[in-house]
Amino acid sequence: MAVKKDYKDQKLSEKLRDRKYYIPDSNPEFIKDVEKIGQTAAHMCYQCGTCTGSCPSAPRSSYRIRLFMRKSILGLEEEILTDPDLWLCTTCYSCTDRCPRDLAPTDAIMAMRNLAFKRDIIPRNFLQTVQLIYKSGHGVPNNDANRAARKRLGLDEEPETTHKYPEYLPGIRKILDHYRLKENADRILAQGE
Amino acid sequence: MAEVKKYEEPRIGVFVCHCGTNIAGSIDVKAVMEYARTLPNVIVADDYQYMCSTPGQNKIAEAINEQKLTGVVVAACSPRLHEPTFRNATKAGGLNPFRFEMANIREQNSWVHMHQPEEATSKAKDAVRIAVAKASLLEDLVPKSVPVEKAAMVVGGGVGGMQAALDLANAGIKTYLVEKSPTIGGRMSQLDKTFPTLDCSQCILTPKMVDVYRNEGIELLTYTEVEAVEGYIGNFDVTLRKKARGVITPAEAEVRGIVGGGCTGCGDCSEVCPVIKPNPFELGMAPRKAIYIYHPQVSPLIYTVDFDACVKCGLCVEACGDKKAVDLEAKDEFMTVKVGTVVLALGYDIFPIEKKFEWGYKNYDNVITSLEFERLICASGPTGGHLVRPSDGETPKRIAFVLCAGSRDSTGVGKPYCSRFCCMYSLKHAHQIIEKIPGAIPYIFYMDIRSFGKMYEEFYYRIQNEGAKFIRGRVANILEDPVTKNLHVNAEDTLLGRPIDMEVDLVVLAAAIQPSAETEKTRRLFGVSCSQDGWLLEAHPKLNPCGTTTAGVYLAGVCQGPKDIPDTVAQAEGAASAASIPIHRGEVELEPYFAQCMEDKCAGCGMCINQCPYSALSLVEKDGRTVMQVTEAKCKGCGTCGGFCPGGAIWMQHFATPQIIAQIDAFLLGGEQ
Repeated sequence: MAVKKDYKDQKLSEKLRDRKYYIPDSNPEFIKDVEKIGQTAAHMCYQCGTCTGSCPSAPRSSYRIRLFMRKSILGLEEEILTDPDLWLCTTCYSCTDRCPRDLAPTDAIMAMRNLAFKRDIIPRNFLQTVQLIYKSGHGVPNNDANRAARKRLGLDEEPETTHKYPEYLPGIRKILDHYRLKENADRILAQGE
Repeated sequence: MAEVKKYEEPRIGVFVCHCGTNIAGSIDVKAVMEYARTLPNVIVADDYQYMCSTPGQNKIAEAINEQKLTGVVVAACSPRLHEPTFRNATKAGGLNPFRFEMANIREQNSWVHMHQPEEATSKAKDAVRIAVAKASLLEDLVPKSVPVEKAAMVVGGGVGGMQAALDLANAGIKTYLVEKSPTIGGRMSQLDKTFPTLDCSQCILTPKMVDVYRNEGIELLTYTEVEAVEGYIGNFDVTLRKKARGVITPAEAEVRGIVGGGCTGCGDCSEVCPVIKPNPFELGMAPRKAIYIYHPQVSPLIYTVDFDACVKCGLCVEACGDKKAVDLEAKDEFMTVKVGTVVLALGYDIFPIEKKFEWGYKNYDNVITSLEFERLICASGPTGGHLVRPSDGETPKRIAFVLCAGSRDSTGVGKPYCSRFCCMYSLKHAHQIIEKIPGAIPYIFYMDIRSFGKMYEEFYYRIQNEGAKFIRGRVANILEDPVTKNLHVNAEDTLLGRPIDMEVDLVVLAAAIQPSAETEKTRRLFGVSCSQDGWLLEAHPKLNPCGTTTAGVYLAGVCQGPKDIPDTVAQAEGAASAASIPIHRGEVELEPYFAQCMEDKCAGCGMCINQCPYSALSLVEKDGRTVMQVTEAKCKGCGTCGGFCPGGAIWMQHFATPQIIAQIDAFLLGGEQ
């Protein structure tokens, strides 16, 4: 366990905090959860870094997929689930295409996001997306600029989706209700206000 | 006897090699060739892309024929590389092959002066001029053939030595297998399982040990050391010390007239022996008596008395009874055998890892070495295969493996090289604890995992999949909890970029290996060089890894450098094959660089006799005078006597005084003799 030194000054205590990795601080079951949800053998990662090298998000942010893989093997559950970087994956699947051990790091990240959401840890914009899907069937609904562009290209203003066929919206809402996604999104967003 | 030579008018041909751009890239080859044409005695000069190619060699032979050359100079690479090639080309042209001289303008010139073309060209001209000066004075020489004794010796009875001995014996060569300890088997017999196949080490080794013991072509000499070596390829006289064993074999008993006597390996003697000592085979973790065998599968199954520990109470003699196998008055015996070739398979020792204080070996109870781990996990080991913590006998659940312990260490304390098999056996150890101890987790601290062999990377994959935890970082230090005797392993997880403090029950140090204690003494006896790190030096690291610079002596196994079992066996087979070639040919040619006595100048003072490191010189009576005589087969042409002789009466063939003086003159006078 991390050695605690209780300085009177709170800031100093934080600054000089013991940052060592100790086994008791980790959860050995975490990697098993990730593998079960993500359906990929994340423990076989040998940390080559091909994933981070392929990642379009990495050069523009502090998101390092290799580090998430490492931390999940070490069972650093708290650290992973509270890390805002977890939500910077664009799910382009380049890492999954190139992983030499034939793992799916993208799916491991998705699994970790799932586990975070179970604890209500999720960025607000993701929840707003849930609300938009519930409302329109689209994460990014059609808008006027888009409609004009479609018209210029000789397409219908509305695409062949729930925009054109709103009668399918109840089906989509049924799925979101089944997983209580809308309900949780509304609840969490309301808490933050 | 050598006469002072008279020379014909020298006619020299000079051939300058481009070696692609190796030479031509920095040296103006045409300029060197043109310059050669201006030198005295040079009849023809030429250049070619690759002199060593068939057309290049043909140029030499043709020039000898057409120009009636008396000497040939090739300016190219090192004579170590192509002197034999161009000697053959010289011979093909009808000249004596020793009328060839090489000027090294590659290794000693173009490669080191890559960015100084003018100076390099000037130096190449010097080298050619000097070579021409010597070539003008070269004489016909004839290599001497000596017969080869149809017997071989293998020193070291580990898996490498055993394989070499088996191959030699099976090729029809009488082979002496010399082993210092009471049994053959070596390090491999101490191992539990072998990677990556997880074969039981003893199971695959003991049939080989039995083969060696039963092979009629092998004379097995255990508890024996090499005492002295004389002679040269084809004719080594090796003196062996058979250490006092205190126990005689059935064969020895028969010689002594004891019918049905000699050691049968029954062990009655050991049972009654009152002296208890640590068993070195079990690394001191199990006891043995003063009369002992290392383990049940020893070969030969003959007990040995440790005379340093024996109190000579005589109980064993009584217990042995009519077999009369125990002889407490035994003394060391010496024997000399004659062999044609020798294979050294001297093995390795574990580096004394307690020298790296930071890991606490021998200071903390629960820090052990990998070899100790092998004995503890082995069913025939001191704990019957139950891995336990030395401090309390409990089964460890969290086990840290420290890789590169003392290897890849340039501090002068450890070893700078990679010990090459620690990664793989540590993976195997991780597998063994996962298999044997439910819930146990191996933590492997590594810098790189070097899984280079066939099926090795796949083995690494398998062990990771089985649940071994890998932490990339070298262990900085280990601290012991004085109460629980648990260990805190401090390292950085370099992939996480964060320090780690890992509390574990047991630490296994994958300690570096080093040449065995006997290597230095033995290599000196056989005149074999070693590299800076103490491993024996091969003749060429790539093209002659089994040979040494001493003709007739070959290397097998780890004594040449760290290697695993498959590589050791492969090299042993290579060494055995190389060692059998001179024996099967029946004779070897010695380079004719012998010293020769010019008897009319020799005063018979005999001062050279003691100077000779090879005992090749002696004084004889000839025509009423005492003169020196050279035993050509023993002479290595080192020149010690030639340089020393106060009367200048010794002629060093191929390196004769007039030849060397001519070279020096050619250099100093700039060719304007």
